[in-house]
Amino acid sequence: MSAAWAIFKKELRVWFVSPIAYVFLGAFLFLAGLFFVMGIQQNGEASLRAMFSNLSVSLLFLLPLLTMKHFAEEERLGTFEFLMTAPVPLWALLLGKWAASLALCALLLLLTGVFPLLLAIYGDPDWGVIATSYLGLLLCCGAFSSAGLFTSSLSDEPVAAGLGGVLVLLPFWIAGGAAHLVDWEPGRQALRQLSFLTHVEPFSVGVIDSSHVAWFVLFSFAFLFLTWRSVESRRWR
Amino acid sequence: MKQATRRLLAHGTNATLVTVMVIASLCLLFVLADATRWSVDLSEGASNTLQAETREKLNLLDQDGQTLTITAFTSQAGKEEAPFKNQAVEDLLKALDAESQVVSWRLMDFDRERLTAEKLSVTEYGHIVLQRGQERVDISDRELFRRVGTGPDKRLEFVGEAAISRGFSQIMAPSQRVAYLLTGHGELDAEKSGPDGLSELAGLLDRERYEVRPLDLLRTDREGVLPTIPEDAAVVVVARPTQALTAAEEDALLGWIGRGGALLLAVDVGTPTPELLRRLGISVPDGVALQPEMQVPYRDRPIPRFRPHAITTGLIEDKLPVVLSHPAPLKLADAAPEAQVATPVLQSTRDGWIDRGGALVGGGAVYEPELDGAGPVDLAVALELRPGGPMVRAGRPVARVLVLGDGDLITNGMIGDAPGNAVFAVHAMHWLAGDDRRLGVATGAVGRATRSRRLAITAEDASVIRWTSLGLMPLLVALAGLTTWLSRRGR
Repeated sequence: MSAAWAIFKKELRVWFVSPIAYVFLGAFLFLAGLFFVMGIQQNGEASLRAMFSNLSVSLLFLLPLLTMKHFAEEERLGTFEFLMTAPVPLWALLLGKWAASLALCALLLLLTGVFPLLLAIYGDPDWGVIATSYLGLLLCCGAFSSAGLFTSSLSDEPVAAGLGGVLVLLPFWIAGGAAHLVDWEPGRQALRQLSFLTHVEPFSVGVIDSSHVAWFVLFSFAFLFLTWRSVESRRWR
Repeated sequence: MKQATRRLLAHGTNATLVTVMVIASLCLLFVLADATRWSVDLSEGASNTLQAETREKLNLLDQDGQTLTITAFTSQAGKEEAPFKNQAVEDLLKALDAESQVVSWRLMDFDRERLTAEKLSVTEYGHIVLQRGQERVDISDRELFRRVGTGPDKRLEFVGEAAISRGFSQIMAPSQRVAYLLTGHGELDAEKSGPDGLSELAGLLDRERYEVRPLDLLRTDREGVLPTIPEDAAVVVVARPTQALTAAEEDALLGWIGRGGALLLAVDVGTPTPELLRRLGISVPDGVALQPEMQVPYRDRPIPRFRPHAITTGLIEDKLPVVLSHPAPLKLADAAPEAQVATPVLQSTRDGWIDRGGALVGGGAVYEPELDGAGPVDLAVALELRPGGPMVRAGRPVARVLVLGDGDLITNGMIGDAPGNAVFAVHAMHWLAGDDRRLGVATGAVGRATRSRRLAITAEDASVIRWTSLGLMPLLVALAGLTTWLSRRGR
C-alpha cells in the first residue's frame, strides 16, 4: 500500500508543480460557475441541479484530458521502462495514479463548495440533495478517470489517449438517449443500464441507490482491470 | 510457427479469456446488485422516492402488461414557476418509468407541439394525459401543484405523485360504476350548482369513474310496480330527504341491503328519519351536535375528529379536516343488531354535546347538563352487515351502509369550504362500493410533496453571485498557480 501511496503523492506533486492542475482547476471552476449562474438565471431555484447535470457531461470530456498523460506521457518520455522495472507492483501503480486523479477531482468538487454556500445565503437549498449530488459526481469522476487511465495505457501519444478516452466514454452518455429510439424492451433496458446518466440522475434528486453505486464501482473496477491487462501485456507483446 | 508468435498467441488467448471472464463476472455482479438493491432518500422529507402505494400500482400495471402512455405538457414558458413545474413532472415521470416495464412517457412543449395537444384535446398548460388502450384519464395542472403557506412563506408544492397514482387507480378500475341518487323527496340535487347542490360531488365521482344517475322509486311505486333498486347499482345515495320515504321505498332500500348492496344515507336536523335507520340500530336524537372546536367564524360548524376506519385513514395521514354544518347527532343502539358491525367514523370531541336550546353565552350555545345530551356525539357511522344475519341474506356479499348526520357535508358549499370534505365523500363512495384498493388515493390525498425553493435575490445579489462564481474562484486558482510558478522559478 505504501507503494501506491508513493505513486499517489508523486502524481499529485507532478500536477501541482506544473501549471496543469491550476489551468485545469481554473477552467473547471469557470465552467462550473457558468453552469451555476445559468442555472440560477433560468430556474430561479436554490438548486445546483443544472450545474451538476452539465458538469457530469463536461467531466466526460475533461477528465480524459487530465488522465491522458498517466501512461502515454511516461511512454513518450521514456520513463515507462523505469516504472515497469521499479519495485512497485502493477496494481499499486494503477491504484496510485487512479487515486491521484480522483483526489484532484475531489479538490475540484470541494472548490465548487462555494456555490451551495451562496445558495444558502440567498435561499434554502436542500442539503441532502446537494450531498448526494456531490457523491454522484465523485463516483462519475472515479469511473471516467479509470476509463481515461485505460486509454492512456493504449497509446504513447497523450492527445490520442485523451481523444480515445472521450471516444470510449461517449457511448455511455449517448446510450440513454438511444434507448428512447429502441422499441424492443430488453434492448431499451440494456441501453438505459449502460448510460451513466441513468445512474447519476438519482443522486441529483437526493437518492442513494445501491445499484447505481455498484454500477460506478464496477465500471471503475472494469476499466482499472482493463488498464492492468493493457499495461501487463507490454511485458509479453 | 515461430516461438515468439506461439508465445504471443498463448499469452494473448489467456489474457483475452481472463478479461472476458472478469468482465462477465462484473456484469453478473451488477445484475445481483440490481436485484438486491436498496436505497435511501436524503432529500427533505424523502420526497423523491415513489411511495409504496404508487409502486404497488405500477406492479399491478406491469402484471396487466398493457402499455400505459403518459403524455405531459409543459407549463407556460416564461412563467416564474415553469422550470420548477417542468422539472418536478419530469422527475416523477422518470421515476415511474424506472419502476415499471409498461410505462412510457413524453414531456411535450405545449407551445411547440400544438398538433399533439389538439389530437389529445388538451387546451391547457401543464396537463397530463394517461392512456391505456381505450381508457384515458386527464390530470390538470391544478391537481399536480398546490400553494401552501401565507405571506413570505407562500410557496408552491408538487403533489403530482398522488394525482398520477389516483389516475392509475382510475385507469385500472374495471368499468364505470353507477351511483343512484334517490329523488322525489326534496333530496340534494346532483345537477344543482349552487352552494346546496351536489354538482361538485357528481364531478368528483365522475373523475373516479362513477356515473351518477337519478333514482325515482316513487314513479315505479305509482305505476303499481314494486320499486326496486337497479341491478347495476354500485351505491345508492339518499341525500337528506326533506319528506318521508314511503313504506315501499323503505322496503326497496332494505331489500337492496339484503342483497348485499351499499347505501349512503344522509340525514339532517329537522329532516324526517327513515324507518330503516331504526332497523339498522341507529337513532337520531333531537338537537344539534356542537362542540367548542368550530370552523371560525361559524358557531355551528364543528370540526369532528376521525375515528379509525378505512374511510378516514387517508384523511388522518394527510391531516385533512372535515367540517360539518349544523349536524344531527346519531346514536347507536346499546345492543348492536346481530351480524352487524357499527363503527363511528366521525365523532365530536369529548367536550361536544347535543344542544337542545337553552341560554346563549356570548352569542353561542353552551352545554347545559340538565337540557343537553353529553358528548362525544357520533356524527357519521359506518355499518357492515354480514350475510346470514337478519338483514342480509345468506350467500350475499357484506352490505355496507354509511349514515351521515349532516347532509351539508357533501354539498358544493361545504366541499369548497373544507379541504377534507371532498376526500371524505370520495373515500366513502369507494368504501361503500367495496373498492378498498382505491381508498388511499382519492381526490385530495397529496402524499409526499416536493416544494419549490425560489431564490429571493435582487439585481445586486445576482451580480455578487455572478462575480463570485465566474471571477473570484477561477482568479484564486490562477493566483495559486502563479505563486507556485514564481516560487519554482525563483529556485
